[in-house]
Amino acid sequence: MNANVSLRDFATPTWILIAVGLVAGGAVGLYEMFFGHLFATNSALVWTLPLVTYIFLALMSTGISLVLAYGLIMKDEAITRHTRPLLIMAIGILLGGFTALATELGSLLNMVWILLSPNPSSPIWWMGTLYSIELVLLFVKLVMDLRGRHGVFDLPLAWGTLVIAAAAAITIGAVFGTVIGRPDFHGAFLSVVTLVSALVSGAAAIVLLRPQSTLTEAAGRIFRQAALVFAALILTRVAYEAHSTVEGMLGWANIFMLVPFLVAAMLLSLAPRLLALVGILGVFWVQYSFIITGQLVSLGQMAHWYGAVQTYQPNIPEALILVLGIAVAAALIKLGEQFLIARRPAA
Amino acid sequence: MGYGMVIDQQLCVGCAACTIACKIENNTPVGFNWCDKITRTSGKFPNVRYEYISTMCNHCDNAPCVAACPTQAMYKDAGTGLTLHDTNKCIGCKACIVACPYGVISFNWQRPHQHWAQRDQLAEGCFSPREMLEESGGEGSPHGNPERGTTYPVVRPAGSVEKCTFCDHRLLEGLAPACVDACPSGARQFGDIDDPNSEVSRLVAKHGGKGLREELGTRPRVIYLRDYTPQRRFDPFRPAGEDQGA
Repeated sequence: MNANVSLRDFATPTWILIAVGLVAGGAVGLYEMFFGHLFATNSALVWTLPLVTYIFLALMSTGISLVLAYGLIMKDEAITRHTRPLLIMAIGILLGGFTALATELGSLLNMVWILLSPNPSSPIWWMGTLYSIELVLLFVKLVMDLRGRHGVFDLPLAWGTLVIAAAAAITIGAVFGTVIGRPDFHGAFLSVVTLVSALVSGAAAIVLLRPQSTLTEAAGRIFRQAALVFAALILTRVAYEAHSTVEGMLGWANIFMLVPFLVAAMLLSLAPRLLALVGILGVFWVQYSFIITGQLVSLGQMAHWYGAVQTYQPNIPEALILVLGIAVAAALIKLGEQFLIARRPAA
Repeated sequence: MGYGMVIDQQLCVGCAACTIACKIENNTPVGFNWCDKITRTSGKFPNVRYEYISTMCNHCDNAPCVAACPTQAMYKDAGTGLTLHDTNKCIGCKACIVACPYGVISFNWQRPHQHWAQRDQLAEGCFSPREMLEESGGEGSPHGNPERGTTYPVVRPAGSVEKCTFCDHRLLEGLAPACVDACPSGARQFGDIDDPNSEVSRLVAKHGGKGLREELGTRPRVIYLRDYTPQRRFDPFRPAGEDQGA
């Protein structure tokens, strides 16, 4: 541990903001788990902002893992020099996502039970398993880095992380893509969207949270390319939805979704952190849009209860779960920075 | 052996007795029904058409909810063909609800029937809901059917989905599902749809029939026979006083 950390290091505006987020979001999360239901859900619209929060944060963490694995495999020193901070970011953001998921599932134990009663035909089971493996791999890499153990295992671990992270992102898309009865979800397209959006948000998070000139340049290069690919994907979807005559398809993409990615990709060098944030918000917009829109058409008898097409607006408790997920991630990243970054590897 | 149900649309009068019978038999909470309906209005006056389609879990052979469930809480019973649910394994991920193309799975966001746990008296000198529950010895509500509990919890827990089981507890006793017994017009028939000599198979062979959204490949075990065709239509241009029929 870093012996130089004192209580005074926690009396900062950042930590006060994090504490407020943890208390407000934590209160809502605990109430939801143990006392009653606060979210704006019903039996036809079951996955709302808390699940969007999980997917947003999990994919962002995946993106950071992918960038780091790429750096390790390609021996890009601009990235590998920041291995430890990037590992801390990836772990913190993933655990922030898991926190949001736990409130959505109603219990931490439910997340463990997924692994104990497996159904290999279920994309959610694969998603849970792959993210569990990814978390373990990230911890192994962090512990090895803290102990200064670098050598023959680095490359296999990097490849392992790359494969697992990519598979996890693709599997999140499959959770929606394998739904046969909802046209806004169905198909392989969402797996491509989740994989590319992971790369966009992960690279953007590195630019935003780790402003170091060489790292910003390396991560910014990946961000620009991924953002342009993502913009092309959105444009393809807009064109497809404009021509679609599929019954029950509302369409989640719109042409304005291209703007944040095109602007951020083209002007990144002017204001890297601000435009990285724009890119992250753009990814959140896309993910929120497809997850919610896919459920708005009520199926079968649910139309009697909730109308043929629902509307959705997040309520304050749901927004606080978003705050909670981000606050947990921020707290873990700050703790990692304060306690682990300054530490030198053992000789 | 595989249970299935046929619903003859020509015989169904849209009385919703099936819905009520199911609610009573299975103690479903306020806010959703296992057995419910789709209604469709089509056409242009005077040639309008109103359809009442009774719905419930289709117990699909290729059930999307079973494939989507990460913990095998939703499963196919090999002996009966029923799609059943184990609340002990359910983690509340709601993947089955999203995956089901029929909208027949519901989620308990809160503990069902919880108003019956209240100790406040409704009026001075009256029983409280809790006292009524204790007096009746019921579970969940004073009207809770204890026989439901032989195969599925009488009151399903908060954080768990629930859905039609084709009254599997009644099937074990040799009885038909409650909705079938309650149907006043005999529109519902139930039996071994895998046996070509069963009554349900004979009805399907005679009238044809199809399941809901069959194009998705789910192979539902609820088959709808004959579209409802009124024998005589209301004709606004027929002279007053002439029998308009039904």
